[in-house]
Amino acid sequence: MQTHNAAFDHDEAGLVARVSRLTKSYGAGSNAISALDGVSIGIRRGEFTAIMGPSGSGKSTLMHIMAGLDTATSGQAWLGNTEITSLRDEDLTILRRRRVGFVFQSFNLVPTLDVSGNILLPFELDGRRPARDEGEWIDRLIDSLGLRDRLRHRPHELSGGQQQRVAIARALATRPDLVFADEPTGNLDSRTSREVLSLLAASSTDYGQSIAMVTHDPIAASYADRILFLADGRVVEERGRSTAEEISSFMLGMEKAA
Amino acid sequence: MRREMREHVPSVLVATLSAAFGVSLLEITAVLGQIIAADDVTGRSKTVGILLGIVAFVFIVISIYVGAIVTANTFATIIAGRTRTIALLRLIGSSAASQRRGVAHEGLTVGILGAVLGVVSGTAVTVVVVTIATATRFVPSLPYTFVEPVVLLPAVAVVLTTWLASWVGSRRVLLVSPIQATGGAVEKSRDEVSGRRGRNVTAVVLFSVGAGLLGLGVLVGLVNPGGVLIGLVGGILSFTGLVLGAHLVMPPALRLTGRMFGSSATARLAAENAVRYPERSSRTTIGLVIGVTLITMFAVAVASYQQMILAAQRSQPEAYQGVDQTLAITVGVFSVLMGFSALIAAIGMVNNLSLSVLQRTRELGLLRALGFTARQVRRMILAESAQLTVAAVLVGLVLGVFYGWAGAQSLLGSIHGSPGLIVPAVPLLLIGIVVAGAAVLTLVASIAPSRRATRVAPVAALAVD
Ligand SMILES: Nc1ncnc2c1ncn2[C@@H]1O[C@H](COP(=O)(O)OP(=O)(O)OP(=O)(O)O)[C@@H](O)[C@H]1O
Ligand SMILES: [Mg+2]
Repeated sequence: MQTHNAAFDHDEAGLVARVSRLTKSYGAGSNAISALDGVSIGIRRGEFTAIMGPSGSGKSTLMHIMAGLDTATSGQAWLGNTEITSLRDEDLTILRRRRVGFVFQSFNLVPTLDVSGNILLPFELDGRRPARDEGEWIDRLIDSLGLRDRLRHRPHELSGGQQQRVAIARALATRPDLVFADEPTGNLDSRTSREVLSLLAASSTDYGQSIAMVTHDPIAASYADRILFLADGRVVEERGRSTAEEISSFMLGMEKAA
Repeated sequence: MRREMREHVPSVLVATLSAAFGVSLLEITAVLGQIIAADDVTGRSKTVGILLGIVAFVFIVISIYVGAIVTANTFATIIAGRTRTIALLRLIGSSAASQRRGVAHEGLTVGILGAVLGVVSGTAVTVVVVTIATATRFVPSLPYTFVEPVVLLPAVAVVLTTWLASWVGSRRVLLVSPIQATGGAVEKSRDEVSGRRGRNVTAVVLFSVGAGLLGLGVLVGLVNPGGVLIGLVGGILSFTGLVLGAHLVMPPALRLTGRMFGSSATARLAAENAVRYPERSSRTTIGLVIGVTLITMFAVAVASYQQMILAAQRSQPEAYQGVDQTLAITVGVFSVLMGFSALIAAIGMVNNLSLSVLQRTRELGLLRALGFTARQVRRMILAESAQLTVAAVLVGLVLGVFYGWAGAQSLLGSIHGSPGLIVPAVPLLLIGIVVAGAAVLTLVASIAPSRRATRVAPVAALAVD
């Protein structure tokens, strides 16, 4: 599955994912909407990256293509050194299963499975049980996320914040190359949001987990090591770690310019 | 509105089939009556005509009963899928009662549509059959009248039962609370379902009393053929108990069959899907259970009946002359008539499975996003379908063998030369047909849902509807 690109080695460059001149348009003719318009970015290994931008700027679209959930109109996307825009559906599926983790805004969990079933689902799909060290890792996740006494509960018996924590446990369980999170705190109150964001940030600093998170919220973005700003399907700015105030004022400036 | 009517297409089909069956059967009975009346020998005897009428009536009632149960379950499934919408309407001030009236209104429309289509297609079938029969000189050509007022009876019955079924099936509208508009609405889990005391007690009491009466019928039958009447009452009571308590009976059967499919992720998820929502899986399977029970009951009754008559014939040959041929013909005709009810039950199961898959679009999208391949999704749905079919068929076979045996035993236990209590005779041909039918049904039932499911894009899980 590894297609080596002689011109560019992502591992050497410290990138876990990259897209190049990515475009995505919906519809045709005069109705065509361009959701992404030549986006080129790299996500660094071991970093917590936030992708920000106004509503409709193409954040979710970008994330879906990078995660192999959706196809691009043109351009390329890599996960590690694997070029994913040319993969068949079956290979993409297996790539998602083994090398990518997801946390969505809502509806993250399979309602028929209990908490433990949901966390172990990626292994189940691969037709295997977690190996010994993976089992220990999962145990640690369950404890640090405070899910130990909830393992036999089903999703509808959990609060929104608890459900998100289960989703995080599942996303981290396979120690994927990259975890994608699309507005993971969109449905949560501010205290629970802080909890969930700290967990994501900690998994990046403590365990070197690479994370790409889409968000509207300057406070959420302030937990990230790096922030990419999107507007009208283009990358307009890139910043290092910033405070919520700095991010807000930049966003306001962007809105004024538009 | 268009989507709402599309959901009802299978219910219209069920209503149409029930009505067409009833109409056509009555018309053909009437034609047979005219042939008999025209015949010099049999014409004077009224008995044959009356007997024909009774038989037609029994089969029409059975097919309408099965149709009504299937429709009620289909409506319940549709309502389950609409929970969010209903809750939203409740949230902005619509009353549960008016919502339910709306659903019943849809049921009435379905019933009327099905009845009209049924009268037309049923009459068309009769005309074709009779035309072919006269053309081949199989029956004399007389000036037959097809459409008599009496054929409207099954049509009206179908309208009323469909309406009633939609009313019964929409009961859960009342359970939808406005708050469900905000969260992910889930169907009741096993614990909650088992907690519904009143219904469970009724089911158990009905079943026990019915089973007791059945046993009594068999014992009385050893000395008096009137035992069959006691047995009939017992059968109806105990079976109604079973239908009411399906959510208690089906999950164990499903868990048992679930083990047959191994422990891969697909199989386990399929098994979980079938077991976790007993209400949903009972709804999907109960129609088929009834269908298989009816067929089996009938076949076993006839085989046991045959066995007893033959035993009696051996001991008293002169009393039972020429009985073999009559038996064979009766068995053939009755099997076809019974098969029709099973067909309606099968349609109900296919439809319920499709609906329940359709309602799980987001869940399937999530599984695809997390790494379920399209093939795994297809296999999961096939396994789910197989599990439901196998469980329904097993339960139906067991019940059918028991009821069929009880029927034959209580009717014939006391005839001349009867061997007394017998072991139920289970025709192997029947088992073969039922198993083959179940296999076909499993495949058919999974085609549409799995095609739809594999078309679900992984991003569908993320769409906030
Ligand atoms: N399936 C679709 N069909 C047509 N247009 C679409 C589709 N999905 C997205 N779009 C359009 O593409 C653009 C980018 O959408 P996207 O969902 O990526 O925005 P976003 O930045 O995630 O917005 P939000 O913050 O509101 O979630 C929008 O203009 C949207 O209307
Ligand atoms: Mg978005």
